[in-house]
Amino acid sequence: MPDSGKRITFTVNGLERDVVTAPARPILDVLREDLGLTGTKEGCSVGVCGACSVLIDGQLMSACLIPVGELEGRAVTTVEGLADEDGRLSAVQQAFLTCGGFQCGICTPGQVVAATALLAECPAPSPEQVRDWMMGNLCRCTGYYSIVSAVLEAAAAGREEPA
Amino acid sequence: MTVQLPFSRPEVRHEGHLKVTGSAKYTGDHYPPGLLHVACLSSPHAHALIRGVDTSGARDLPGVHAVLTGADIGDVRFGRFLRDLPVLATDRVRFIGQRVAAVAAETREAAEEAVRLIDVEYEDIPAVYDPREALTADAPVLHPEAAGYLTMRGDGRELPEHLNLQGDLVAGRSEEEMASAFAAADRVFEHTFRTPRQHQGYIEPHGAVVWFEGDTCHVISTNKAPFTLRAHLATATGHPAEQIVVYNRFIGGDFGGKGFSLDEFVAFYLARATGRPVRSVMSYVEELSGAGPRHAAELTLRTAVSSDGIFLAHSADVVFDGGAYAAGKAAPDLVPHGGLDTMSAYSIAATRHRLRTVYTNSVPGGHMRAPGEVQAVFAGETHVDLIAGELGLDPVELRRRNLLRPGSPAPDGTGAQSAAGEVLSRAAEGVDWATQPTRGRGTGIAVYRRKGGAGRGGVVLRALAPDRFEIVTGAADQGAGTVTMIARVAATALGVDESCVEVVQQPTAVAMFDQGAGASRVTRVLGEAARLAALDMRDVLAGDVLAGAVPAGAVPACAVEFPVEVTREAEAPRGEASDTFGAVAVEVEVDELTGQITVVRAALAADTGTVINPLSHRGQLEGGFAFGLGAALMEELPVEDGQVLAGSLGDYKLPTAPDMPPLTVINVGDTPGPGPFGAKPVGEFGNLGVAPAIGNAVARAVGVRLQQLPLPAEAVWAGLAERA
Repeated sequence: MPDSGKRITFTVNGLERDVVTAPARPILDVLREDLGLTGTKEGCSVGVCGACSVLIDGQLMSACLIPVGELEGRAVTTVEGLADEDGRLSAVQQAFLTCGGFQCGICTPGQVVAATALLAECPAPSPEQVRDWMMGNLCRCTGYYSIVSAVLEAAAAGREEPA
Repeated sequence: MTVQLPFSRPEVRHEGHLKVTGSAKYTGDHYPPGLLHVACLSSPHAHALIRGVDTSGARDLPGVHAVLTGADIGDVRFGRFLRDLPVLATDRVRFIGQRVAAVAAETREAAEEAVRLIDVEYEDIPAVYDPREALTADAPVLHPEAAGYLTMRGDGRELPEHLNLQGDLVAGRSEEEMASAFAAADRVFEHTFRTPRQHQGYIEPHGAVVWFEGDTCHVISTNKAPFTLRAHLATATGHPAEQIVVYNRFIGGDFGGKGFSLDEFVAFYLARATGRPVRSVMSYVEELSGAGPRHAAELTLRTAVSSDGIFLAHSADVVFDGGAYAAGKAAPDLVPHGGLDTMSAYSIAATRHRLRTVYTNSVPGGHMRAPGEVQAVFAGETHVDLIAGELGLDPVELRRRNLLRPGSPAPDGTGAQSAAGEVLSRAAEGVDWATQPTRGRGTGIAVYRRKGGAGRGGVVLRALAPDRFEIVTGAADQGAGTVTMIARVAATALGVDESCVEVVQQPTAVAMFDQGAGASRVTRVLGEAARLAALDMRDVLAGDVLAGAVPAGAVPACAVEFPVEVTREAEAPRGEASDTFGAVAVEVEVDELTGQITVVRAALAADTGTVINPLSHRGQLEGGFAFGLGAALMEELPVEDGQVLAGSLGDYKLPTAPDMPPLTVINVGDTPGPGPFGAKPVGEFGNLGVAPAIGNAVARAVGVRLQQLPLPAEAVWAGLAERA
């Protein structure tokens, strides 16, 4: 392998991970190819579509843009880390399911992660705040209406049942 | 339909849990052991002869397992109907983005680096980009060898009058009949419209994972028609179809584009050359420059009208820019057929259409959500508003006088049970049509009819126990909810709870033939097959086993030995009438300083029959509306001298969440459709009327009439400046 051989240690969904790889590789490739976490999707590859959205230390990021070398000591959350240990869906995932906030589903992991980040920062957003925040996540199937409903429903569910 | 059906309960998608947890595996998520990554070299020339290819540098790169060129695999051509597109170019390239060489390597980086090391010597030859110019006598001919091209049926085809003509379809009355109809009319109106290339914009690019086990070739693919892909692969490569297995489950968006495959063919040869599994996934640059976008079109419409506003005759001359290959079109005529639907919602005694598709040195055109029809409905519904303006008639009133309706149906019977009039009224009411908008605002409307797609497909239904059923389908689900639809239809026909039915998607080697998703046919064909199979199963199991709905878990006593299996096929005939009508009405606000168009609110009225999956049905209509909004306001794949100028989804703008106006979806009418329990096609429907409705609203708001798409602020602003 060209340019191999840097050891990078970080956590993914609460588990400590240790990879030896070229530090310039995008996090997205390391998650998918090295760690088998294919829930995070690759769409545009240039940070526009939001399909590769992940949380890094709680911040919403595009995994296709960030070199894995930047991850040393940091914590990554992917879509696979949102349900609890018993596999119970998060409020956001549950709301996407019941509101029909997806069709083909390719953008859904990114949508769900982005919505999770929004509700962590702003637990009771207005519809306009939801639309503006979700602007970074393209969906070609739904027209966004059911996605916005799902995020608002998740926010309402979160208020009823504080974690 | 007055039958009480259990469809009103919102569905929970059967595959939904997999999708919201990231567990659903799409084509690109498969990384079998020993996998090699594929990268392809594309032509930077619009029209050139290949004088030589040097792959030695690429072959020597560590990690590279195979480098293939057209010289290695020969002149192998494929296409959805006409096989004119080489897997890899041999002697000539015809568009910027055409594949010339392909590499399989240990890593994506190594494959991409190897591609950069391939040296191709090109000799430019004259190119042609304008379809009208391409049809002139001295235009450069793209395919001098066209006489030798074969179709998917294995035969040749009659050569057209000009070698740059891909397809030429004439439908309707003779020119003489039309001439006399026009001559007799009070008024004749003629307008010309232009629509651009547009990209399907799915978030999952095309891709394939291919490997061999002995002589059997296994293919995981983004193609939405696994059986058709198998046939195409077999025909192109000569590999026996029975030794090709196509797997297909989740597809990350389609919108017409995923019927056209590119990666499967290079991946086949690379997997065979290396003996390893290979993964070929297009980058979005490759998507935008080479994956079969919507055809750009120029449409000239003529309509003869009586003094009281009745359409007497209508003709359309449509020229589609076909790009460098016809391979992306599935129909034998090699034209986007929806071009026939310029005015197909109306009762008109004499019509004639000529649709032509022309070879040019640019990205080959493909199918995109209602191919040809999007262009035709934009032109037709803008044309109708222009006529209304000339006649001093309200646009809703002019449409009402001419709509297909009971007593005045189309020759194929469409309209006989139509709720088109109600669709039109309800959409208009949705934006308070009768109320005068404030300054800078205006309302606009468009009405259309959607035909259903023909095709055939089958399912296997197995009763595993009195309360446990399994349905095997070979259909791919590109997102529209196929699996859930099949389960709900079968459960209803069986009279059991939906939780008793599991739909299993199986590869081509196991499942019954299915023509694939497309042309809005899946519910019509596979839903009907599931319903018929369920009725057969009821007969086999006899009434007492299935008396009433069986609660999940309750096992009634019965004498039948399980499992019990029935198979059924269904077929939708070509040209089947479905009386599916839609109307879109919008209110827009135009910023008179900048020309910026804002859609303030919208209403979409749909006569789409029995709704089987309410959430998915609504999703198709809302998503269709968004798709139409993008096509109307922002989407264009600009091409300059054959070079696509949009390099990423940052350049090619898709609608985002804040772009969406409040939308009222109105389900109208209960006229039965040809699908199971009276369902009608809905996939290529919600997008059809959006662009003309917006254009018509802009004209009524500020008096600026645009006859091309998209409708950018700059064009509105220029119109405003001209008016002032």
